[in-house]
Amino acid sequence: MTELPDLVVGALGAGTLSALVLGAGLLRSRRQRALQREEIAALRDRLDGVQAALAAEVEHLAAQRVPAAARQLTHARVAVPGPAQPQFIGSPLGIALENVLNSLRSELSAQRTRIDAAAQAGMRGATREIQAALYRLQDALRTLQQRYDDPELTQTLFALDHENEQSLRRAQVAAVVCGAWVGLAREESHLVEAVTGGQARLAGYHRVRVHNHLEAGTALVSHAVEPVAIIVAELLDNALRHSAPDTDVVVNLEHVHHGACVTVDDAGLGMTQDERDHARRMVAGSDPILLTDLGDPPRMGFAAIGRLTRQFDLGVDVSSPSPYGGVRAVLRIDSHLLSRIDPEQQPPAASAPRSTRGASAPTRSPAPTHSYGSERDERAVADVAGHQAVPDAGGLPRRRRRTPVTAPAAPAVPEARLPERRPEEAAAALGALQSGTAAARAASEGAGAAVGETAVVPEAVAAHDIDQNDYEGGAAR
Amino acid sequence: MTGRRGGRPLVPAYLSTGGVARPSRPQLERLTVLSGSGELAPAGLPAAQLALLDALRGGSLTVMEAAALLELPVSAVRVLAAGLVDRSLVLARAPIPPAERFDPDLLKRVADGLRALKHN
Repeated sequence: MTELPDLVVGALGAGTLSALVLGAGLLRSRRQRALQREEIAALRDRLDGVQAALAAEVEHLAAQRVPAAARQLTHARVAVPGPAQPQFIGSPLGIALENVLNSLRSELSAQRTRIDAAAQAGMRGATREIQAALYRLQDALRTLQQRYDDPELTQTLFALDHENEQSLRRAQVAAVVCGAWVGLAREESHLVEAVTGGQARLAGYHRVRVHNHLEAGTALVSHAVEPVAIIVAELLDNALRHSAPDTDVVVNLEHVHHGACVTVDDAGLGMTQDERDHARRMVAGSDPILLTDLGDPPRMGFAAIGRLTRQFDLGVDVSSPSPYGGVRAVLRIDSHLLSRIDPEQQPPAASAPRSTRGASAPTRSPAPTHSYGSERDERAVADVAGHQAVPDAGGLPRRRRRTPVTAPAAPAVPEARLPERRPEEAAAALGALQSGTAAARAASEGAGAAVGETAVVPEAVAAHDIDQNDYEGGAAR
Repeated sequence: MTGRRGGRPLVPAYLSTGGVARPSRPQLERLTVLSGSGELAPAGLPAAQLALLDALRGGSLTVMEAAALLELPVSAVRVLAAGLVDRSLVLARAPIPPAERFDPDLLKRVADGLRALKHN
């Protein structure tokens, strides 16, 4: 039974021991828990901080960065701000946010292209219709011009035709910018005609001076005629727009290595750097054209040039300043777009400036090809001039238009042509004859009798016919 | 031949006269005969006037014929020609009126009158 207290003591001891152990464990765990609680609190604080930062960053993304990125597509100068908190730069979150922006950009630009393409298609359809209608109007106006020659009516018809040409140019350029075909098939034509035709489409065509230094007969292949006319019209329009209304715009047509060049110089202030860059970018034609890029009101000229240069392999440069002070625009036409037309068979339009090249133009020998009223032996002159009546395929003689011939080496047969008499001179001579006859008759009828009428002798004849004059004086006496 | 392409002319007619449609002298008609005066053309003459002068270099033409040759409306050629006449580079003659047959009645009466005179 002595074992019982021992047991009790042992148990107590054990109990105390275990209590101690437990107590220590408890203490330790309590301390640990406190530590953990602190850690949790700290973590929670940090989490709150991070959450707030994240929210602020997303807020910043939504409020600043996304709109800026969207605006940057249309306005290249807009800078997209970076993350609001620098610790995100390069972090996974920062990269993720950057990806958000990137996909937004690509989606937006895809949308933009789609919408623009739809707008272009709509505009293409509309301008095509307008263009066709304006061509019909042009036909009607030109028929009227041919039919009626009353000056007042003609003045109106000319004005309407000019207005129509300008509208036509606008519609055509809009169509070309929207990716349409130029809308008119032409035949092979003289290059100078295409340039003059382009000139006629502008309101200020009076101010354009065209100097043609090309060889006579330099022509464009058929599919290049209308594009060249459009490009020249747009370059001239730009030149006229950027120069004072009292200055001329000078156009020079020249041959260059492997082709021909149309140079347009204006004496204006030149373009600003922005305009110049815009023009260069547009004219290059390498970027796809969006209507929304062209401004409001849209500046279509250079965009149209860009489309055409790319389609037809033409070269346009607007980057150099002109020696006249303004802009020098150069259109280069490679030789594969050039051809030749016999200028005799198919002379250029009457209004197209003639070539300054060679001695061909001014030293034309006066050879009658359609002569009546000239008494010379036609064949002799024709031989001298170097062109004969060429028998046609049908055996009939063919009338040919005047030939530009260079002066023959030997002096030509001197013209045995009576000096032309002016109608006024002829009238004066006949009048003098009549009055002289009348005076003589009157004098012979009654010597001293008063003559009822005093014939007036025109002064032109007075010098020649002194006798008559004297007689006249006698009769009057 | 000078007859050439169909199709739409590239260069409109108003360009030839610079938009002017009222000739400086009104008496030029469709059949007025134009001929060059032989004077040398001064420098700086508009291209269309030069073209008209060239067309007249080969002899006389009526306004109508010149218009057909230059492929311009008659009204434009009248303006061009009037300008050239003003500079006395071109001479203009009124159209030659077509010859008319005499009235046979009149001729008969004249003959009767002459016979009557003779018998007196």
